[in-house]
Formats: sequence, C-alpha cells, structure tokens
Amino acid sequence: MIRQAYLSVVARNASWSGDWSCEPCECGWASEAIFFVRVLHADPTARQAHARVQISPDGLHWIDDGEPCDIPAEPGVHAIRVRHFGGWLRLAGHTEGGGEIRVVCYLHLKE
Amino acid sequence: MAIMTPAELTSALRRADPALSRFDPLERVIYHADFNHGHSGFTATIGNYEGTLDTILPDMNFLSPQLSNYAMWDTGTAGTMHGGYALKLATEARAGAVSAATKRLTIRSTGLIRLETWFGIKSEATQMVLTEHDVRAFGILFDIQDHSRRLLPRLRYLNASEGHLIGQWQIKTDHPKRHQIGPSGKTASIGHYAPIGYTDVPGGRQPLCHNELPTKMNWHYLSVTFDLRSMRFVEFRCNERVFDRDLPAPFELPEWPNLTGLLNTIFFVETDVDKRAFLYLDSVLFSCTP
Repeated sequence: MIRQAYLSVVARNASWSGDWSCEPCECGWASEAIFFVRVLHADPTARQAHARVQISPDGLHWIDDGEPCDIPAEPGVHAIRVRHFGGWLRLAGHTEGGGEIRVVCYLHLKE
Repeated sequence: MAIMTPAELTSALRRADPALSRFDPLERVIYHADFNHGHSGFTATIGNYEGTLDTILPDMNFLSPQLSNYAMWDTGTAGTMHGGYALKLATEARAGAVSAATKRLTIRSTGLIRLETWFGIKSEATQMVLTEHDVRAFGILFDIQDHSRRLLPRLRYLNASEGHLIGQWQIKTDHPKRHQIGPSGKTASIGHYAPIGYTDVPGGRQPLCHNELPTKMNWHYLSVTFDLRSMRFVEFRCNERVFDRDLPAPFELPEWPNLTGLLNTIFFVETDVDKRAFLYLDSVLFSCTP
C-alpha cells in the first residue's frame, strides 16, 4: 500500500493578532507532521509572531512541545517540523506589535 | 440448484461483504468511502474567490475534514463502527459555525442517485454533562447542474435550537442572495449554508439516540435517494424510519457558467453554541441506477 499523506488547511486567510491558536487537528494516524505558515500580508504595526506547537491527549487540554518559532511580519513561508506527537496537534502563538498578520496555515501529515 | 440472476448474485455478493452489507445501494456503486483507508476524496469546501481570499463569503470559509479514531478524555479511543477511523467534520467553537466536506463528481446517468452513510453527531466534550442540544443541525446535499439549471438539494436534520431539542428533518426550499465574486464574471457565490429557507418534511420528527454522556456516541444509518430527472427527493431513511411522502421540492437556480454535469456529494454540520460540533462518518456509499 502506498503511504497516506494529507494536506490539512487549519487556518485560511486567518487574522493572527495578539494571542491566537489554530483549530485542533486529529492526526493519530500520521507519523510525520509539518506546520507550514504562509504569511499573505501584515499590518505595518505588526512585528514578528511567535508560534508554538502544542500537543494534547484529548483535543481539549494543550501543552507546548519543542522550541517556539519566530515568524517575521512579512510575506513568506515558514515550516515547523514536529516529531513524536500523539493524536492531536495545533499551533498557538502571539503576534507582537498590536497589528495582524494574515495567514494560511497548513498541517501536512504523512503516514 | 436454482440459477441466480445477475441482480441476485450481485446482491448476494454485497451481503456477504460486511463492509457493504450494511448498505442498500442502487444497482451501480459509484464509490464506497471507507475512512480506514484515508480521506477517500472528501475535502474542504469553501466559497468561491477571485484575486484575493478576502472575497470568500464569511460563512463559507470551512476547514479540512479530519480522520478521527474517536478518542475521548474519559474512556480513551473508541474507534468506529467498522474499524479505526472515521471522517470528522468539525465546526469552529462559535455559535452558528458550519463545517462541510465534499467529494466532487459529475453526472454519469440521469436516473436515481443514492447517498448512504453511517454517521454520528456530538459536540466537543468540554463539560461533564450531556449536552445533546449543542449540535444545531447536520445534513447532506448534492450540488447539481444539468443542461438548464443548478440545484443544491439539501436534507437537514435540525437537532436543536437555543437549548431545546427539536429533531426535525427539513429540505431547503429557498436560498440567500447570489453574490458576484470578482470582476471577471466567471465566479459567483451563495451563502447557502445559512440556516434559512428550510421547509419541514411532513411527519419528519425523529428523535435520535444521544446516549448519556458527552463522550458516548452511537452510529446511525442514513440513506437519501434523489431523482436526477424530476430533480426531487424520492425518499430518505434514517435508522428504522422511512420518509417518502410529500417531500418538499428543493430550490432551483438558472444554470451557472462552467458547471454543466456537476454532481457533488456534500456533508455538513452546524453548531448552535460556542462549542465545536462534530459530524463523524464511519463510511459512505454512493450509488445510482444505470
């Protein structure tokens, strides 16, 4: 059998300002995961965002996993690799400066 | 020994397969989505856009469906009716939010089509009490265009509203305004997931088993048959109930550009509270008459 892979859109044209988090994603079937954050545009008042991968036993209670990733407030694509997660993943973080960055966020999963 | 007809042989073979014997398909099976083998071609559906994502209608910005093994905080993983994984549609935790997933096909023959599934509904288990009235509604729709008209025939189960259980089957008979999207003239959009324009199916009240905890979910059977000639629902079945009389006619639209032959099969779920609502599909079978 060929290995399953799936590109999940967990935020589309989302406004990330202040504290934010993506929708949770069930991913227990996967053994590989990468979050991609594509910044579409940013307010002049937005400075960089700090993104944290979070894991959860049940999709309800979340803890940080690994080191935060800095995302500049300018158009571009950023990747955050995730290893040894359980059944759930989400991305949470904070955007500095009061303005928003507008993003598409993907979780790419592979069996 | 009696000789079996082709139809009898086909039926016997299907009944001998546990994955298919739970269904009652028409003569030709178009697809059997078994989510133990992946998303099976179901993907996020979104409103149309042109030039910028800002042109997507705000209530048409749905996220990707997920593969779920129904893992709960109190009892762990339940799995599904027929294996490990179900397709899960999840709304955002905002009253009125909708999630929808589609599989895109085209019309093969202009006869009957039938969409069957084993499904479950539940809201996110954030409270230690049964919250059976969190899920506002769920349903199925077809997105169809023949050579003269576009239709979005939709069957909805209105589960609850404002804290009260209702349990009413409905068919959408009217639609919101059509919006032109972008300057090219090629794209428009209708916020047809809005909770308006529904007509109750006569005699269409049906309570469903919600069990006793927010984490306990039971699987239900749904079968919907639609006639591509008359463009009317012929019948639908949910568990032991059959509804085949006085089914309201779905709304029709003039044909749209570039959609001739369209036939999408779509599932959706709505939340009535600031909590995620989930529609779980164990498996789906889509069939037609030749």
